[in-house]
This record gives sequence, structure tokens and C-alpha cells, in this order.
Amino acid sequence: MKITEKMKFEFPPTLAVALRMQANQKTRGKLLAGGTDLMVQWASGVTPPNRIISIWGLPELNLIEISRSEVLIGAGVTHARMARSPELKRHLPALTAAAATVGATQIQTRGTLGGNAANASPAGDTAPALLVTGGWAVLASLAGVREVPLTEFWTGYRQIAARPDEIILAFRLPKKNKARERFRKIGARQAQAISKVMCASRMLMDDGRIVSAAIAVGSVAPTPIRLSAVEEYLAGKKLTNPVIAKAEALARAVEPISDIRSTADYRRWATGRLVRDALEALKTKSRST
Amino acid sequence: MSNVQRTWTINGKQTKLRFPPGRRLLDILRDDLGLTGSKESCGEGECGACTVLVNKEPVVSCILPAGQLVNGTDILTIEGIEKKRIGRVIQQAFLECGAVQCGFCIPGMVVAAYALLIKNPKPSVRAIREALAGNLCRCTGYTKIIQAVKLAATRMPQRK
Repeated sequence: MKITEKMKFEFPPTLAVALRMQANQKTRGKLLAGGTDLMVQWASGVTPPNRIISIWGLPELNLIEISRSEVLIGAGVTHARMARSPELKRHLPALTAAAATVGATQIQTRGTLGGNAANASPAGDTAPALLVTGGWAVLASLAGVREVPLTEFWTGYRQIAARPDEIILAFRLPKKNKARERFRKIGARQAQAISKVMCASRMLMDDGRIVSAAIAVGSVAPTPIRLSAVEEYLAGKKLTNPVIAKAEALARAVEPISDIRSTADYRRWATGRLVRDALEALKTKSRST
Repeated sequence: MSNVQRTWTINGKQTKLRFPPGRRLLDILRDDLGLTGSKESCGEGECGACTVLVNKEPVVSCILPAGQLVNGTDILTIEGIEKKRIGRVIQQAFLECGAVQCGFCIPGMVVAAYALLIKNPKPSVRAIREALAGNLCRCTGYTKIIQAVKLAATRMPQRK
């Protein structure tokens, strides 16, 4: 008998029932969406929890709402659905590009945006793309709904700001509007590779000058992070070669670790190159994602 | 743990099952139903050998807790696909192109190719490579597999 067969599963039919279960310590369980991270962890020896609350398929978590300035994406929306959505691609191209690099088709069919965020791996592909939007995670509990800025959502290695009684409902993300976004991921191969480094950016240009820059990277710190020093340096600057070189050098100040996928040195170097790449892409006329 | 009961359509046939909700879909297919075409290789969702279609979308059945599949779920395995015309077209193309060596990854490859061709009967090489990116093969180097899917695409029935 496989280890996951010993776990007790609950299948709450609605979000309200799931929230009631999570509100009480006796009925609370580990939330499970598509299982593309958790099932693998349990199969490879991480002790599984006794009790699982399956939130896969909960209709309240599966909405995509596009308003004038923002997009609300339910936590249960799959990577496949995001990657296929022309509307999301128009307003949040870094996010849809990131969703299309999670695992491969089979993983994208089951993996969810909320799951990727809650798993809180520093290598979670969608996190940098979420971070550059300046948006919020919408958390629900019986006590009500609250919003946490994504810059405060990942609080430590594999830790998030949600309380044990809370369920991630959605992500509220400002559209890029006139800004340009880009997402690049470096891994051992293009598919099914956990990233060595990835970088998302959202930059607003006006008349050759950077009005505002949001740059986020993953796999170089205990959490996904914004490169605030680089962003502040770039604000108001013209895109000249010395400016790009300085931004690349500032980006290399990250403090990654060496692990099975890459070395700290390579990650520092690659972080700089990804920032350079994002800036050089701004000079071209082609649509960047 | 206490079992759940589910009724799915598996390869076109209504099938009623009882199982622990955390049981992997792959174990139900192989051990409970004897559908051993789906293979287990990595067991952690990396290699695609266990790929089946759930509601026409490819999933890796080795990391799917089957209790999450509600009543009425449509499951198609390689055993169902090989009875379909498009499935036979793909298999024939794999034979003609020499796309099979040891064969262990092939059921998953055929399922992934089928999932692509039913949605996109005239895929670009890039679309083929993307559709098969989640399926690992240690023998062929992929070139002949991609050729086979291209060949199958030229023989797709006209209607969608």
C-alpha cells in the first residue's frame, strides 16, 4: 500500500465548508490542490499529514475576472488554463509565460497558481511573475477576507503569510497596461526542469527613459525576491550601455546558495545576465514577454 | 482509510470503483483494472510514462490521488486510444518511422501525441516538441518520435 493511501481525505463541496474545516484545529488538514508538488514530496519520503482537505475543483477558487485595471485569478486556476488564455497573455504576459514553463503539459494540467504560491519553493516559477505586478494575495477564513501584498506573502523558506485557518482565494493583480513584461527561466532543459534562476520584469518606459522598473528573481534566496536596489537605480534612467552594465552588476549582489541544481557563483552571474537581458529586450521593438 | 466510491467512464465504459481516496490513479488502472499499458517509471511526475487523459487533458497518473476525480470523469488510457482511428494512425506512424526502441515510454508518448492531435491536427514541429516535452525517452533521441507524430498528422482524418 502506497503511503498516500493511508491518509484521510476530506472533499469539501464548497469553500464555506472548507473554511469551516480549517477554522477548527480538530478538523483542520493539509490543503491539497492538484498535488503536483505534494504528491511528489510524499512519494519521496516526506512524512505525509494524517488529514488532507482537497480543494481541487472548488468552484469558488476557479474564477478569472478581468476588470478595468486589474485581473483576479482564483487560486485553483491551473497553469494550463493561464497559459492558454489570450486575455491573461495580453494583461499579464510574464505570468502566462511562467505558467507555460512549469513542468510540462501534464503538470500544467493539474498544477495551480495557488498551489505554486503556497508550496513556497524559492524555485516556484510563477512567483517572480506575481511579484512584479505589485499585486495582492487574497486570503479567506471564517473571520473574513484580507489581502496581503505579494511582496510580504513569502515570509521565509517555504513559509507564507497565510494563517493555518486561511485558504488562498485568489490573486489580485494590476494589469501591465503600457509597461512591458518579460519572463526568462534558466534550467537544465526547457521542460520538466526546476529552475537554476528565473527572472520576471515589468518596466514602464517613456521617451527612452525608464519610468518604473519591477524586477523579481527566483531560486537565488530563501524566497522569491524583488531586486529593489536595481529597481531604484533604474528609475528615471535612460537605457544606455553603462546603465545596463551597472544594473547587471547591482543584480549580482544577490546571495544564492549552491545546491544540486547549480552553484552560487553561477546563479549570481546568471541573475546579472537575466537583468541585462530584460533591459536589452526593452530596446527592441518586438513584443516582449 | 475509508474507501470512496466513484463511477468513471474508462475507455468508453462506465466503471464503478471503490478505493482509498489517496490511491494513485496509476495503481487503479494497472492493479485494480489490469490496464497495464500505462507504465510506471519515475513515480514522481517527471517522465510521462504513466500519461493518461482525464477529460481529454493529459495528466501523469502516478501523482494523481484518484479520490479527486469526481463521478462522471472521462478517462482514456493507451488501451482505449489504440482502438480509436487516430490512435491507430499514430501507432502505425511510430512503426514506420522506427520511433520505438525499448518501448517503455511509448504508451505515454502515444497518449501525449493523441492529446495534441485531437486538438491540433496540423501541429508545427515546435508544437509537437512542446506536447511531448513531458515524456522522456532514453533510447531514441526523440528525432524519430517527432517524425512519427509529423507523419501521423499528415494522415489525420479531415473532420476535427
